[in-house]
Amino acid sequence: MASTEADYLHIVTADNISAARIRFGKTIIWASAALLCVVGLVQYLDTQGIVSLGFETWRPTLYAFLIWASCLCWGQVLLYGERGKRALFVLPAALFVVAMVVFPLIFALGIAFSNWNLSSPTGRQFNGLDNVRQMWADPFYWNALKNMVWYTLAIVVEYAIAFGLALALNAQIRARKFFRVAFLLPLMLSPVAVSWMIGKSMLEIRFGPVARLLRELGFDQISFFGSPEMARFMIMAMDAWTFIPFMMIMILAGLQAIPKELREAAEVDGASGWSRFWEITFPLMLPVSITAILIRIIFKLKLADIIINITAGGPGGATDSVTSFIFREYRDRSNVGYGTLLAIVYLVLIVIAMTILMKLADRWMRPRY
Amino acid sequence: MKIDLYKYAVAAGLTRRGLLKGAASVGALAALGGLAPAGRALAGGHGNVRAEILKVPGVGMGSPTDADWQKVGEMCLGPTMERVAQGEFAGVELTFMGLNNQNLHNFLFRGFLKPWEAYTGAKINWIDLAQADYNARLQQSIATGTVDFDILEMGAPFEGDTAGRGLLDEMPGWVSEQIDEGDLVGYLQPPVGTWDGKKYRVTIDGDCHTFAYRKDYFGAGAIGGETVPSTWQQVNAVSKALAGQTDPLTGLPAHGYLDPLKGWGGFGFYFIANRATAYVKHPDDPAWLFDADTMKPRVNNPGWVQAIQDVMDLIATPGAYPADQINADPGTTAFQQFLAGTGSMLMWWGDVGSSARTSDTSVVGDVVGFGINPGSDRRYNAAAGAWEDVANEAPQMAYIGWGIYVTARVSGDEAKRKAAWSAAAHLGGKDLSLWMSAYPSGFQPYRNSHFNYEEWEAAGYDRAFVEDYLGSNADSYNHPNAAVEPRIPGIFQYYSVAEDELAKGFAGQYASAQETADAIAAAWERITDQIGRDSQIALYKASLGM
Repeated sequence: MASTEADYLHIVTADNISAARIRFGKTIIWASAALLCVVGLVQYLDTQGIVSLGFETWRPTLYAFLIWASCLCWGQVLLYGERGKRALFVLPAALFVVAMVVFPLIFALGIAFSNWNLSSPTGRQFNGLDNVRQMWADPFYWNALKNMVWYTLAIVVEYAIAFGLALALNAQIRARKFFRVAFLLPLMLSPVAVSWMIGKSMLEIRFGPVARLLRELGFDQISFFGSPEMARFMIMAMDAWTFIPFMMIMILAGLQAIPKELREAAEVDGASGWSRFWEITFPLMLPVSITAILIRIIFKLKLADIIINITAGGPGGATDSVTSFIFREYRDRSNVGYGTLLAIVYLVLIVIAMTILMKLADRWMRPRY
Repeated sequence: MKIDLYKYAVAAGLTRRGLLKGAASVGALAALGGLAPAGRALAGGHGNVRAEILKVPGVGMGSPTDADWQKVGEMCLGPTMERVAQGEFAGVELTFMGLNNQNLHNFLFRGFLKPWEAYTGAKINWIDLAQADYNARLQQSIATGTVDFDILEMGAPFEGDTAGRGLLDEMPGWVSEQIDEGDLVGYLQPPVGTWDGKKYRVTIDGDCHTFAYRKDYFGAGAIGGETVPSTWQQVNAVSKALAGQTDPLTGLPAHGYLDPLKGWGGFGFYFIANRATAYVKHPDDPAWLFDADTMKPRVNNPGWVQAIQDVMDLIATPGAYPADQINADPGTTAFQQFLAGTGSMLMWWGDVGSSARTSDTSVVGDVVGFGINPGSDRRYNAAAGAWEDVANEAPQMAYIGWGIYVTARVSGDEAKRKAAWSAAAHLGGKDLSLWMSAYPSGFQPYRNSHFNYEEWEAAGYDRAFVEDYLGSNADSYNHPNAAVEPRIPGIFQYYSVAEDELAKGFAGQYASAQETADAIAAAWERITDQIGRDSQIALYKASLGM
């Protein structure tokens, strides 16, 4: 008879697991796994036309997966008793992630290396690295990536503004609570609403109030989206307006967590306002700042809705983001294979860039002695 | 009829007295039996269906409701009763996929088909889609083999994606007879609706681009010259000459033709095509986008390049376009520019004229006129590879219009098949279509019998308006050299990628119009190769009826 009593600390109850129970546990896990493999294989053969069993959907395989997942969880308890129960806190979530994220990702990889235009009568066909070659020679994709660099760099300015606003709201100013709520309002707006309210209405060059005001002020040829630089700047500005409050609120939370004593001690030591900020506040805020910037970069890399609504990537691709380009490739041109490859490559680029950034951030945030 | 147009018509000329007069005339005409189609069996004891249905609910009596749609559907059941026995389809269940734009389309179909369901015993389940979701839903159903509908509302450009792949059921002969196909306007006659000589479509709509212009820009002493431009050469000359002048209505800078320079999900391509058809649509050749034998794009031939060059010339002329035109899509040119008093010439679908009167932001209601697509002093002959100094005119049937199709899901079940086609024929019936043309439905006139102005006048419409609006449509529909777009798979992919390249060209990223056109041609070649050149050639020829 096996016992886990003496082996581990923190065991709440003693498990006396019989050999028969272990056998049963192993049996249900392996039997359900075998069932999953067999059902999956049979369905695959059916879709390939090798056997003809008339499956209409992949639901049988899904059900087999669910049975296997349940048996795996149950089996943990049967095999390991108390320790197995602890595994149940994590295992279902892990299986869910595998089913909902990892499997689709693998499926997407298969699509990414295929020639799959929804209008093609031949359907999906594996085409090796053709999509990669096409991407390599696609000026629209590289142009969109270049634009993304500009858009991402704009975060530095956004951060500076957000920090300034957070400092102001952290100070003892009048109507502080009102301003805190008011500054948060843009974040609550959907980017699509921002596109229409600001980009398509307020900035409309004929009737828009901004254009009218500029005309009153003596400007003649008003064009907010006419030149590439101006259009890109306007997109950056609208996106910044929406998301600066997000960074601001994070930084504000960080500022409020800094102990007052530090500032007071610095004042006693005769530090100037600037040195108090630069030597105390800013370094202490680095972890929050880095987190805010990293999250903001992730948001920024998904920028698409404002662009799709206002400029459709124009003029001449000047405002195109990778996501808005993929949207056109996928939705307007039904080019599923190539569109998926572009998205996967973008994902890989993002993962690499974010890993490097986090490593660097980790180094920067170590205390200086 | 499109909603805006209906409102316009009502606003344009209907008074209570006029309405009563109209109703009286309808009654008189009905009594004479002058408008009744000969030999037509009539449902429910109504004396003259056409005149009677036009009284439901009555022009100017508010928007029709579901009760009205059901009533009209019931009054038009005659042709169904001739061919289907009562309760014949009991137990048959069909699924209908269509749109829910502006609460029209499927909403009307439900009402029209309710009495049909009651009579035949069939049951219809509905899949309602927003316009924006339609293409993706249809393409995904096709690509993943999950077509879950028996009857389909679809635009003709998608026939390549469906009929071309054998997903549609061939129309039985009795349907052609029931809907009186010979009454369709010229361009909707085969090959539209057919593949390899087989018919698939019950037409319920017509679409074409017409020319709208500002009457106050043209005439004696007007800033645009004596006459309205009738060729693209004149359009460009006037547009250049207007730069720097003042708009007679708004006092703001005057402008000529409004080209949309920004993409619009593929639909923007129709607008450069409006210019190009005059140059490249040769009367001897139905093809104008590709060579039918090779699918080699014609978009970079001298005719197309001229069209692109025309736009580039206006971009290079300071003041020819409004500021920020590079960021104007077709929606902007029509609704934010032309209707708001900016610019004097525009190509658009029929509803821009109606919006001129009914839209709150429109200032041009009293000064808008209609015509057909401008022509050209010369035309390019793709077969000979040379320009010909012969005047040419080629109105573009942009999007061709909606139709009802039946999918191959019903092909194996004769009862289901007959039921599906009976429902489709009911919706595309000659009398019902008159009602759809005259009342808000989202559909435009598409039969020769719709251009019988007396019927409209008798129903209470303003004659001058109806003649102006319907006239420009009729002239375009029946034009012998109408440019009908190819109904090949993925046609909007070609348009979409062309928009991207044109945007680069218009932004000055290509050295010339030729280079821009070459980039489009190269992108089109890639799409053709991806979809499959041989199948595209076969389908292109089939779509042209070759």
